[in-house]
Amino acid sequence: MSKVVVIRLAEKPDVSGLSEEQYRTLLYHGLSALSDGKPSRQVLSDLMPRGVVGMKTNCLTGRFNSTPTVLIDALTHLLIEAGIKENNIVIWERSNRELTKAGFALNASSFGRRCLGTDTNGVGYSREFYSCGEVNSLVSKVLTDLVDHNINVPILKDHSIAGLSGGIKNMFGAIHNPNKYHLTNCDPYAAQVINLEPLRTKQRLTVMDAVRVQYHGGPGFNPKHVVMYGGIVISADPVAADSIGLKIIEQYRAQNDLPALWQDHRPVKYLQTAAKLGLGIADESRIDLRTIHVDSNGSSKPGELFP
Amino acid sequence: MNRRLFLQCLGCGATATVLTQTDLLPSALGGIQNACAFDYTKTLSEVEARYYIKRDEGGIECRLCPRHCRATDLERGYCGVRENRGDVYYTLVYGLPCSVNIDPIEKKPLFHFHPGTAAFSLATAGCNANCKFCQNWEISQTRPEQTDNIELPPQNIVDICRSRRVPTIAYTYSEPIIFYEYMYDTAELGHKHDVKSVMITGGYIEPEPLGVLLKTLDAVKVDLKAIREQYYRDIVSAELKPVLDGLVQIKKAGVWLEIVYLVVPTLNDSEQEFVDLARWIKANLGVDTPVHFSRFHPQYLLKNLPPTPLTTLETAWKICKAEGLHYVYLGNVPGHEAESTWCPHCGNAVIARRGYQILQNNLHGNTCKQCGQIIPGVFQ
Ligand code: SF4
Repeated sequence: MSKVVVIRLAEKPDVSGLSEEQYRTLLYHGLSALSDGKPSRQVLSDLMPRGVVGMKTNCLTGRFNSTPTVLIDALTHLLIEAGIKENNIVIWERSNRELTKAGFALNASSFGRRCLGTDTNGVGYSREFYSCGEVNSLVSKVLTDLVDHNINVPILKDHSIAGLSGGIKNMFGAIHNPNKYHLTNCDPYAAQVINLEPLRTKQRLTVMDAVRVQYHGGPGFNPKHVVMYGGIVISADPVAADSIGLKIIEQYRAQNDLPALWQDHRPVKYLQTAAKLGLGIADESRIDLRTIHVDSNGSSKPGELFP
Repeated sequence: MNRRLFLQCLGCGATATVLTQTDLLPSALGGIQNACAFDYTKTLSEVEARYYIKRDEGGIECRLCPRHCRATDLERGYCGVRENRGDVYYTLVYGLPCSVNIDPIEKKPLFHFHPGTAAFSLATAGCNANCKFCQNWEISQTRPEQTDNIELPPQNIVDICRSRRVPTIAYTYSEPIIFYEYMYDTAELGHKHDVKSVMITGGYIEPEPLGVLLKTLDAVKVDLKAIREQYYRDIVSAELKPVLDGLVQIKKAGVWLEIVYLVVPTLNDSEQEFVDLARWIKANLGVDTPVHFSRFHPQYLLKNLPPTPLTTLETAWKICKAEGLHYVYLGNVPGHEAESTWCPHCGNAVIARRGYQILQNNLHGNTCKQCGQIIPGVFQ
């Protein structure tokens, strides 16, 4: 069994999204639920006992449909509470340009929280190829050399080729040649990418933003097909996290009279492939899904995945 | 790039190679790095791509090469250098080469095209295939933001060629098809100023853009990687059929054509494959089409195989000669008789070579000095 926590506001948020405060509340409750009641700081320090913690964002599409800066701020706050030094926290992405466009302030210095793209001078990609199946890639040195642990902080959205863009697809941003792996709905490539040695061994947690969900027309921002879901999906199992993300996307597609992704010629087969590679669980009957609603006073109670 | 510095580089007697991120290829810069300063640009181009359609359901479909990549907003095609921005498809590498050299034309290799002359050679990042043996993977298998690029618009290239008396521009090293717009505009401008253009390519392109492009080219060298579909699927990540169709199209267009076949031990080196290759060339392109067999060296994703034995290359050479091909060459074997061009009529060496060097040129115009036999090619 793998545990996935979906934690959402009891009331639908407005289109501007959540504040850092609200994200923090969701994270406190969500991380605690993931570990049957331990405080969030302990959950994080158990998962990442010492060293440098990376947070891989998804900043492909500027301010909309990118990992919100306030979610990263809230996570930073919790990591510091868990005893991680601020300079040992590294927000990272493929390029500085993408980070800046999404609203992040770059910082490659030895003071404060770091935030940098793989294209930062002196970073770049590994010298050696990492291989799995049909994937042969150089990997961002942020992951190979700089960080000891990685938290994947994607945004949940539809993807025109892969079907689903969640945590697994987000790690395409860690390799130098993602354009080579979009054939056949990214299967088996997406699964093989997260099975590359440094990606697999350093992955600790997925915290997927599902506040504003693009259920069709992604990965770019397409306001016609956006719904305010108001939640985040948390799991230590990257496959289970994405499987629940897919369920959310499919629900909203059905509600809006859109065909299921497999009927739209975009089956998300890479989840099954990842499960076969032993990277996590895709079978919903083996996922322990906890859905929690948080009200405006900050108190939580079990709730439904969909209103 | 600062043009004055660039010209100084070309004048300093060495090749000016501008390659990938310094941590990927420090040695490639060699002495040039010390001799000259380069101003790299981080900006990518935003020039509308040619040969794409907008799809009714949103997004675009690229029709430049047989992959027909579909890309929605902010997505790129397989080659990594063409991007959809608001359903307009852009080339990101127009005027932005990452590799620039002046090479002997023999290095391309083109043996029947102005022997002994120089070619201003350039490449951008990206490729529409992914050959497991690629010797230039540091530029071909990366995205343009991962390479160090210089600004070199078509006009500057033509100006340099004219001022340095370099007769030819070669689009080479990576895969010029993916920088089609840049290549086309440069070649067209070059023609207006008597500067020729040659394309060194894998030939994986759609017929329509190829047809238009051929009007601006003076020669094409195609890397025919194998004569088996399976090899193209497994080792090249492309297809054989469109490449064969392209070869026929080039021949029919009357543009000078030479073929290179990289012999990879155990993968495309059987005698039957050499026979099939020779027969296909004879039937579809004619016996006068030069074929170069070149030697594989273990690199990129095929480090587990040995270099091609000379005996295998010689077998290929003998088979093709026996099948009736007139101009069969061996590459990367300096001093071998198969580096030279032999008159198919009198058997004398019309062009004697060692490596990229011309030792003797016994051509009179385009005929053998000895017997008057016409030697096909572009010699004048
Ligand atoms: S040129 Fe590039 S984008 Fe266009 S079809 Fe070929 S690989 Fe795809």
